[in-house]
Formats: sequence, structure tokens, C-alpha cells
Amino acid sequence: MLIFDQLKKSDPSLRLLATGVFGGLAVLLIGLWWVQVVRARFYEAKLETQSCRTVRVPAPRGKILDRNGTPLAENQPSYHLSLYLEEFSPAFQRAFNTRIAACKKAGLKLKRDQRSELARATRYAVVSNVVAAVTGEFQSAVTLDPEKFRRHYETHLALPLTVVPNLTRAQIARVEEHPDLPAGLAVDTQAGRVYPFGPTAVHLLGYVRRDDSSAEGEEAFFNHRLPDWRGIIGIEAAFDPQLRGEAGAKSVLVNHLGYRQSENVLTPVAPGQNLVLTIDLTIQQAAERALQCYGPNTRGAVVVMDPKRGDLLALASSPVFDPNNFVKGISHAQWEQLSDEKLRPQINRALQENYAPGSVFKTLVGLAALEAGLNPSEIHNVQADPVRAGRGCIYIGRRKIEDTAPPGAYDFRRALKLSSNSYFINAGLRTGMAGIIQLGARLHLGERTGLLPRGQETPGIFPKPARLRSGWSDGDTANACIGQGEISVTPVQMAIMTAAIANGGKVLWPRLVDRLEPLAGTGQPPTTFPAGRVRDDLGVKPRSLEIVRAAMLADVEDADGTGRAAQVPGFRVCGKTGTAQIMDARNQVTDHTTWFTSFAPYENPRYVVVVMVESGSSGGGTCAPIAREIYLALQKREQSARANPAPLAQN
Amino acid sequence: MMLGTPLNERPARLDLLQLLAVLGLMVGGAAFVYSATMVHEPVGFWQQYHELPLPQFFGWLLPQMFFRQIVWYVLGGAAAVVLAVVHYQSLVRWALVAYWASILTLVAVLIPFIGATRFGARRWIDLGFFQFQPSEFAKLAFILAMAHFASRPAGELKSPRVFWKAMGLLALPFVLIMKEPDLGSALVLVPTGVVMLFVAGTPRRYLLRLGGAVGLLGLLLLADIFFARPDAWYSVKLEPYQRRRLLVYFGQEDRPPAGASPAKILELRKQHFDDQHNVRQAMISVGSGGLLGKGWRQGTQNALGYLPRAVAHNDFIFSVIAEEKGFVGSVIVVTLYAVVLFTGIRTAGQARDRLGKLLAVGVVTLLFSQVFINIGMNIRMMPVTGVPLPLLSYGGSSVLCSLIAIGLLQNIHIHRKGY
Repeated sequence: MLIFDQLKKSDPSLRLLATGVFGGLAVLLIGLWWVQVVRARFYEAKLETQSCRTVRVPAPRGKILDRNGTPLAENQPSYHLSLYLEEFSPAFQRAFNTRIAACKKAGLKLKRDQRSELARATRYAVVSNVVAAVTGEFQSAVTLDPEKFRRHYETHLALPLTVVPNLTRAQIARVEEHPDLPAGLAVDTQAGRVYPFGPTAVHLLGYVRRDDSSAEGEEAFFNHRLPDWRGIIGIEAAFDPQLRGEAGAKSVLVNHLGYRQSENVLTPVAPGQNLVLTIDLTIQQAAERALQCYGPNTRGAVVVMDPKRGDLLALASSPVFDPNNFVKGISHAQWEQLSDEKLRPQINRALQENYAPGSVFKTLVGLAALEAGLNPSEIHNVQADPVRAGRGCIYIGRRKIEDTAPPGAYDFRRALKLSSNSYFINAGLRTGMAGIIQLGARLHLGERTGLLPRGQETPGIFPKPARLRSGWSDGDTANACIGQGEISVTPVQMAIMTAAIANGGKVLWPRLVDRLEPLAGTGQPPTTFPAGRVRDDLGVKPRSLEIVRAAMLADVEDADGTGRAAQVPGFRVCGKTGTAQIMDARNQVTDHTTWFTSFAPYENPRYVVVVMVESGSSGGGTCAPIAREIYLALQKREQSARANPAPLAQN
Repeated sequence: MMLGTPLNERPARLDLLQLLAVLGLMVGGAAFVYSATMVHEPVGFWQQYHELPLPQFFGWLLPQMFFRQIVWYVLGGAAAVVLAVVHYQSLVRWALVAYWASILTLVAVLIPFIGATRFGARRWIDLGFFQFQPSEFAKLAFILAMAHFASRPAGELKSPRVFWKAMGLLALPFVLIMKEPDLGSALVLVPTGVVMLFVAGTPRRYLLRLGGAVGLLGLLLLADIFFARPDAWYSVKLEPYQRRRLLVYFGQEDRPPAGASPAKILELRKQHFDDQHNVRQAMISVGSGGLLGKGWRQGTQNALGYLPRAVAHNDFIFSVIAEEKGFVGSVIVVTLYAVVLFTGIRTAGQARDRLGKLLAVGVVTLLFSQVFINIGMNIRMMPVTGVPLPLLSYGGSSVLCSLIAIGLLQNIHIHRKGY
């Protein structure tokens, strides 16, 4: 170094000093290089953890709309009075200084923890005074809970503190018009989930619950989370990822006291998609109303389906409950009600329960028999029951099976409309169980339809061909022929069966969701779910189907038909009633499941209506009138559509 | 690095290179004191200048720290000019007067009525317009006195009596400054005195013995801090915060006394965490600056108050510079100091007499010690002590003394050999 050269060779002490200075500065530089270059990342991360708070920002949840665009589930802002504490920081400091000065004047010397206690009390005093001043004109006095305030201050300082939740309109006006509203007090909005029609279609829509946790594949670590909702059941759960969208993230810069300084969006939210159902709100409401006709706590279900497209126009289950309660938070009493063991309001009876089909299964047995060569005009004589006057019966070996239909001569049509057990057991035994099972397999009985996720749908019970080789008896076949024994179905499965009869043998996938619509402006095309997807074909002759359809028409139109209560003027309804017996362990009849499966109009079937009521009196007496109400609503809907033809935007 | 002056040319009167470096440091000091203090102000200099009428603008400007710093630079510069012009040999005649005057102020500052207390230390004398810090001037007076004392013929330095006298000269201000307490300012006197004695020609064995004794004492002190109970009769009576700072430096926690309640242990933990706070935040500032820094006035550590506001513009100004200008800025700062220090050593080598050489060596060692301790404490190489960074840290006494010291160097340079 030049300095060295200039130092005299004879001046070793200065050389030593220069070396020392040089060494010292070099050590500093090496230390700085280590901290600022090698370990820079480490310190950047430390800086971030101490001065940044990440906040999960949920995306606005998609709406659920009926086929005409009426929202069945949507977001409603709720208004809250919130405190932005960073704005009060100078006021805290001022008030604290005054108090400390007062203490000094009084000759008090505060210890460290006493000072922090004083600071805490001061903060609370400042904030609660402000809150009291602003909310003074509210009808009920608002007091800030000191414990809540302390907790928020210690753990959530970067976020606003909600002082008064769910402001009324009058309160919002009071706050907004307050003459000297402090800077740190503001009305915040939060998105809440609301079901404008309350309990309507609750089983199918489902409900959401407060859940701020991260979805799968999402950033899992956040300092704070804003309120978010998660679908628990129904469509809300089945399409939760699509409805929820993608939560975003923001980072809040905080100072050394933890007060918010500025905000920065890290990931923008991707709003959830709107979901359009195939459900028609008016029909859904008509179905639910119709179920209520039987009684306030009717346990039953209604399925209204388009037999050509597979669209479900209504999917009702009763009793109902209000999903809005889940958003607000369920009270203990409400939960008791929801858990009632007999009513079981939470069960979706259209999909989630196994029911014996009873006599409505005779349509399938009849089809199988016709395919096996049964002559529909052939007369079968039913013997009289020796015990019950005016009723028929049939003996399988030594076992007597009672009949509700009278004894006498039956052809196919009369047998179906009077629901003769004897006739169909006879026909089924002649056909053989294998033929019935084959037909049932094509209807995919015993399998799920996939309308809702696994836990929300039961597959039902239907014997497999192998079952016939392991101790299957004629008695079992006889039971199956009248929809009892080892057969259980859901109302939706019966609707699919009826639709197949009505539409000429096509077994359709039922359809509940028409499409998912991304938010306007994103430019993404909607996701559509095609209608009329054929799952299978019954593979029966059109003539057989026509015979069954004609018999079903007679069941409703003939004066002695069991389903005559479903008659609708100007709408030719075809139906089949059913009353399944529910046995206890000792083979005693304890209850009935009553059914009415139907389609209309006869000439050009457009609707399938399946009604099931637990503990009804009979299919014809309980369910057929309910179906009638629904057909009336459908008829009215057609009339109004004709009167003001919709722009046909939806379908 | 250094521009050698060709021998056949008439050498420059002033050490311009050194002055350039000093100017650079002063510009940096003003800029970063501005950055460190103005982040908390709602409006900046230019906006105030454009929006306020002139009298009000000056009213606003006067109490601003960066402006005061500039005023001190001007005053210090003037003082430096005066001190550079008068021959240092005439100046040194006043050395003992200055020395005893500084001792007097050091005693005065310890008297509660006179000395002002800040952060638990009695280091200032409040003159109303100026918080006078006697220890800063004591450093200068000590250099003058020591140079005066040690510039005697080298033979005399061999006598133990003279050596002990020199030790006394060092010990008096050392003890008084320790008493304030201001450990850092006291400690920088030791290398300054020792190096001056060494360069003056004091026999090695004295200095080695002195070094050994100091080292032993230091070890005993540390052992005492780490292992002795604070209330034992044999323990050294350090201020609690000094003790804790040293513990923090060595990464130790204060041991709770035997049988302490959990609450007490928790309190000690918290105390330890708080003690670490400044160093930890300084490290985060320096480290997060990275290679290039966040930009002038863009540092968040100071703006968000993590780096305590009370120290950001003085003792920890280097953190602000390092955060905002990164490693590049740090290198520039260190380079500027290197220029000042090496030109100072060159001045010592070219000094006309032993007195000039010793004065230059004293100033260089003092400046170097302060730079090393201050920057070192920002990256945890040194314990935290209240040593300012010469010319960069905010503070009237420090700026004034640093510039006077530079004036002395220039003085010796102007009156060097062969001129």
C-alpha cells in the first residue's frame, strides 16, 4: 500500500498501527459482508415476521340459483361497527402521558408492570369513551367488553375490532351522521350467507358453517383469517370448491407496537362461481307446500323430474329446517329440534333413506312379465281370502299373502289399477326372479345416482343375480313382486324408473346442476352439465311399455283406480300407488311407507312426479292428492309460460 | 488508494484527500440523520419549503435534527479551521489547561444539580441551547495532554515513574467517565493512550504488562458477571444495564437467583429479550439491507419504530445507512473512514516532530476505536455501548470534537516536515 511506502522504514510502530487499523477495518467489512450478503435472506425473513402480518381474505362465495335465475343462496353484507386501533395510537399515548404526569405529581413511582397495567387501562378508557360517545344514541347501550378488547389488542392488533355486530339501518345512519366521528371508528361490511327462501330446498342446497381454515392446496400459514364459510352438506358441500373460489392473501405492515401501517395485496381473490340448478323454485315450493298438506310434520319426499332430460325440477324432503340458522349459529334448543329421532329433519328423504317400494314396484314386475311373454289380456282369477270378506289372497306353499284388492277375474290393466298382489305375484313367479333382477339392474337399482356426494345418498338395496343361487325361495320372489323383502329404493330411483317407462325405456342420469357460471367479466365460459345423459336402456319392447303406461293411466283415470285422487283436469296423469308394510322383528306390521309414482301427460310425458310419505294411510289416499297439487302447479307454470313466453334464455 | 505526492513538487498545504473523505462523511451524516428523523414527520423538507412562508419555514427548520446537525458541521468546521491555522506547538501549551478543565467538567457532570440525566446516565450538562457532553471533549483534551506528556525525550519514557504518571493521566478521566456511567467512551481512552505511548517509544515490557493486567482484569470482570451472584461482596459494581448488555453480547442470559419464583424467571427472560432488542433490531436492519439496500428513506426498521427512535439517529445511525444503502453503502462508509485514518497515519509519519506524530496517532486511534466499536455493535461484534460514529451520528459534542480532531490532523499536515 502506498501509505506503507510513505512511512519510513525506520518507523515500525506506525507500520504496526497502520496494520492494526487495516486489520480492524477488514474485520468490519468481513462482518458486514457476512451479515448483509451471506445472511441477508435470514434477516429479511426476520424483518418480515416481525413487521408483516398475513391475512387470509376469503373470496365472495358463488350464488346458487334456480333454473330461472332466482337466487336460492346468496351473499348478504352485514354491517359492523369496527375500531381501527392504529388510529387511536396517538390518543392512547396522550392519555397515558397525562396519567403518568398525574402519578408523578402525586409522588407515585410506578413499576414496570404497573406502567403496562396503566397503559392497558388507559387504552380501554380511551376506546370505550369513543364507543360510548358514538353509540350513545343507540337504543340499547353498547359497552365494550374489557377482556375482549385486551385479547384483541394482544393477538389481533393488525385487524379491526368489531364493536357492535350486525348494525341496523337506523344504527348505520346514526354512526355515519355522527358529528365528530373519530377517524378510527368505521362501519365495516362482511359477507354473510343467506338463503332468501329459508327452509325451501334446504336438503338439496345444504348449508354453510363458519370455517376460516385454508382449503386443500392453499397457503396454510396466515397470521389472521377473515371470516369464511364452508359448505357442510347438500350442493353447498358438493360444489364447495367451485362456490368458494380461491381465497386471496394480503399482508399488513405493522409497526413495532403492532399497529397497522399499510396493506398490500399478495394474492387477489378469485370469486366463486355461480351455480345454476335445474330446480324450478315455483315447483319446489309447490312440492313442499303439497307435502305440508298432509300435516305439519309430514315425513316424506317429492321428486319432480323431466323424463326426457333427466332434470330435477323439484327435490323436496320434509320436515324442513332453516339453513339461515346455521349461518347465525345454532342454539341448543334448535339443535334438539334438528336431532329429533322420529322426525329427523336433517335427513334428505329423497336420496338418503332406504324405503321399501311396495306396489309401485309392480310396474317393473309387470314389465318383466310382459317381456317374458305374459299376455296382458289373459285372465287370472284371484281367490277370496277366507278370513277377510271381499279381499283376495294368494298362497305360496303354505304361506298366505293377503291382498287389498277384491277376489275375481283380473287382466293386466285391472290388476295394476287395483294393485292386485295375487296377480303380480303369480305373474312374477311365472316370469322368474332372474328377469326382474335383470330389469332392476338396468335401472341401476342398488346403485347411487351420484346427484350428491357419497354420504348424502344411499344406493338402496337390490339383489344381485348371485343372490338367487344362495337360498332364494319362491316366497322371496313373491315378496319382491309386491316391492317388499330384500328391496329398498329411494324416491329418486323410483323417479328414474318412472321416467324410463314414460320416455320409452331410457334410464337417465338425473341432473341437478345445470351449469357453473364464472363471474361476469372474467371471460371464462360456463361449465355446463349436459342434459339427457342416458345411463342405460331398459331393453324392453315398446309395446310392453305402452301396456304399462295405459294401465297406469287407468289407475288414475278410472273411477275404481287406486290413484284416482291424482286426477287433474286437462292433464292426463298416469300413476301407480304403493303402500309398503314396515315389519318389526316379529313380522308384525308397524308402519307403512306410502308412494305415488306418476308421469304426465300420457300422450307426451313431460313430468315425472314421485311422492313418498312415511306413515301415510295409503298411496292413493295420502300421496296421490299431493301429486295432484304438484301437477296443478306444473300446469299453471306451463300456462304462464305460454302466456308470457320467456326469452328462453335459460333452457 | 493514496495519492502520493511526487517529491520534486511543492506539496499541497492541506490534505485534500482527507478533507474530501470528511466532506463525504458529513454529507452522509446530514442525509441519514434526515432519513432517520424525518420518517416520523408528515411533510418533508421540499414540501415545507414550497408551502410555508419563509419565516415559518425557518421556524419549522430550526428544531429539525438534520438541520441542527448541519449547523454543528458548520460550527465544527469553523473550529477546525481555527485549530488548523494556529501551530499545534502553540496549541499544546494549553494542553494541561484543557486537560484539567475537562476533568473539572467531568466532575461537574456527576453533580446531580449540574449534570442532566438521560436514559439513566448522567452524561450531559444542559446549556439550554446545547447539551454539552464533557466526555467527548475529555477525549480530545486527553490526547493533547498525553501527546504533550509523551513527546518528552524517548529516554525518559524508560523510567517507571514516567510510565506510572502516564497511567495516571489515563486513569483520571477513565474513572470519571466510567462513573457517569459511559463505559464506551471510557474504554476508547485505553487504546488511544496505549497506542500513543507505544508510538512514543515506551518500552514494550511496560505495555505488555499493562496489556496483561488489563486482559486479566477484563477476564475477572467477565467471570464475575457470568458466575458471581450480583449481590456478593466481591462482585464488581457495574450498572445493571451494563452487566446485562455484556451478558447479551456474550449470548448469556441473566441467571435467576436461587429459589426464584417462576414469575421472576419469566420477568428475567423478558428483560433479556428487551435487552437484546436494540442489537437484534440493528442486526435485522443491517442484514435486511442486503447488497444494495432499500433506498434512501425507504428503510422500514426505523420507520416502523422497530429500531428505537431514541437511538436510530445517533448511536445506531449505521443501521439506518446499512439498511437503506446495503452492503455497498457500508463499504463506502468504511472506505471513507479508511481514507481519513490512513491519511492521518501518513500525517503522523510526515510530522515535523514527535509531538505532531503523537497527536496524529492519538486522533487516528481515537477515531478508529470509535468507528470499530460503533459499527461492530451494529453487527454484534462488539457489545452495545454509547459510542457515537464520528461525523455520522447526530450529536453536537461528537460532531464538534470529531471536526476539531480533523482540524488537528490538518494542522500537523500543514506544518509537516519539509514544508
